[in-house]
Amino acid sequence: MLLSHILKEKFDNVVNNLVDALDAGLSVMDKDLNIIWANKNLFRILNLRDDPVGKNCREVYKCECKEAKYCSVLQALSSGKRQVTETQLITEKGERRYIRNISIPVRHENGDIIQLLKISLDTTEQEEKIRRLSLLRKLAELMQGTQQTDRLLHLILTCVTAGTALGFNRARLFLVDKERDIIYGKMAVGPSSMEEANKIWSEIASKYEKLEDLVKASEDQYREDTPLHMITRLMAYSLADEKEVIVSCVKTKKPILERDAFHNPNSNKKFVSMINANEFVCVPLVVKDEAIGVICADNVYSNKPITEDQVELLSIFANRAALAIANAEAYKKLEEKIQQLRETQERLIRSERLAVIGNMAAYIAHEIRNPLVTVGGFARAILRDPTNNSQTRQNIEIIVEEVSRLERILANIMDFSKPVEQAPVKVPSQINEILENTCSLMDPYFKNNRIHLIKRLGAIIPKINIDPTQIKQVFLNLIKNAVESMTNGGTLTVETMVENEYVKINVTDTGEGMTAEAMQNIFMPFFTTKVDGTGVGLAVSRKIVEDHEGTIRVKSSLHEGTTFSVFLPIK
Amino acid sequence: MKTILLVEDDKNQLLLYEQELSIEGYNIITAKDGLEAIKRVREQLPDLIVMDINMPKMNGIEAMGKILNEHRKIPVIINTAYSSYKDDFMSWAADAYIIKSSDLTELKDKIRELIRR
Repeated sequence: MLLSHILKEKFDNVVNNLVDALDAGLSVMDKDLNIIWANKNLFRILNLRDDPVGKNCREVYKCECKEAKYCSVLQALSSGKRQVTETQLITEKGERRYIRNISIPVRHENGDIIQLLKISLDTTEQEEKIRRLSLLRKLAELMQGTQQTDRLLHLILTCVTAGTALGFNRARLFLVDKERDIIYGKMAVGPSSMEEANKIWSEIASKYEKLEDLVKASEDQYREDTPLHMITRLMAYSLADEKEVIVSCVKTKKPILERDAFHNPNSNKKFVSMINANEFVCVPLVVKDEAIGVICADNVYSNKPITEDQVELLSIFANRAALAIANAEAYKKLEEKIQQLRETQERLIRSERLAVIGNMAAYIAHEIRNPLVTVGGFARAILRDPTNNSQTRQNIEIIVEEVSRLERILANIMDFSKPVEQAPVKVPSQINEILENTCSLMDPYFKNNRIHLIKRLGAIIPKINIDPTQIKQVFLNLIKNAVESMTNGGTLTVETMVENEYVKINVTDTGEGMTAEAMQNIFMPFFTTKVDGTGVGLAVSRKIVEDHEGTIRVKSSLHEGTTFSVFLPIK
Repeated sequence: MKTILLVEDDKNQLLLYEQELSIEGYNIITAKDGLEAIKRVREQLPDLIVMDINMPKMNGIEAMGKILNEHRKIPVIINTAYSSYKDDFMSWAADAYIIKSSDLTELKDKIRELIRR
């Protein structure tokens, strides 16, 4: 008896029940590949509309094997062995379906192959799982390559929401702050309204087929001003508040899937009401057995139920993401340390160089000063001789004058190179007083140079620990520089204010300003743009300010003026 | 006539001071270093000493210390190119501290003031 008859008549119920339970589609065909029997499951699995019985295998199964040598059914018939193939089909709804076909030859009692049984299994779910896992692997690779924390966090959330990846509607990322014992909202990705959601999804579907494209776009579209993001940034919960879903997620270090959050009697509603979704999932970001944060995702717009599979996938993803975050944080810390080290090193080199130059300058200055005394002294002696003719007299006067100029420059260098060797003697001092004092000292100097002085001294400047003599020298240097840059007179503005733990002093002129090149070099010892300058003033000023753990900065535009800003720490 | 001991290792500078102070009407004796200065003081007690600091053999501060040990009342003017010795408390024993300049007015004024005292 033929298999089809057996199936149909004798074991119909038994086998059909069995096959139904297996969720497999079955067909029997003859050697010419015409289908002579099929079960009901086959209709569903192959998405058939008409009865396949009487039709040809190719017509029904829509195989992609055009040539006979690739056809598994023909191979099964010729080899007498079972053949397995995988195919895909797209339903009219546009869903991709993966199908595994197993072709088994059926032999007659005499051993001849007379018919063929074809079993079809829907493997879509498995395939999707595999596809997702490979996607996760790819994501993990991408995450490892991203060392900037903010960009990494954004990438993570983009992956959670992207249709090609995990496909949630919205995702938010929360981080644990151990010092303050809270968990707070760091970042969010997703549409803020249904309307926006529709727009984004159609855009994503049409534009970003591949993950790499999506990631690239995620970087380009990195924005912090979305409403969802801003709301999330306002969220923060005490880690003592274990009735909040997010806190218990941190404490248990396990994913929590809330199906009916609004009516869950076991949880507080502060977090839920901010999330404003009845169904959502929280997965912890665990590093070294410690939850460093939580990803919270929902499908608030599509209302698609969150499956256990999705939760599992999100958890695996979150583990990878947590590692990447920990890496990025470590990298950031390392970078900060290196930067600190570099700055310290630069400062050391600078101060060492200044010290060496200072010593050298002092040495040279003294060595030159001695012969100058002799040259100038004798010149003065000659000058007193009444028998000099007027030409001689004029020549000697020039020698005396030039020697005096050299002596003044040397005196400057020696004065300015002095504090290099001295540590500041710090006492609590009022910056405003020192500035006032400096300005009143220089009042005649301002008048001579047609300088209009504007003072804007902050009303509440705290006393700070500084060496008043050294700081006064800095002010003198800066003000002198400012006045010298205003050869035709101008306005000098001195200001004081408090800015982030620092007292800030601005000295602004309306002078010639500086070229970018000059700005780069002004703090270099012996760099000067002035005819009579020694190039030591600003170098020493910076040294003094840095000895006070402060900084000195300069802003300048050519022909408009220059502002020097000194920052001195309040503590 | 008052006698001034000039201690200075720079030959030309010594010549300058010698010439200028002679014109002022002082009797000048000279020494090239600290050791020589001590010797000169033993030979003839001056009314005032103008002392350089940075010199070979014995520097001016050490020489001044030794001289003042024996003759506490001789006025000493330190005349140096270095302002940094001002911080050396040993130099405080001097009656004046002048930083060298080609303009000798300050030195002359100081000498006049101290000798009159």
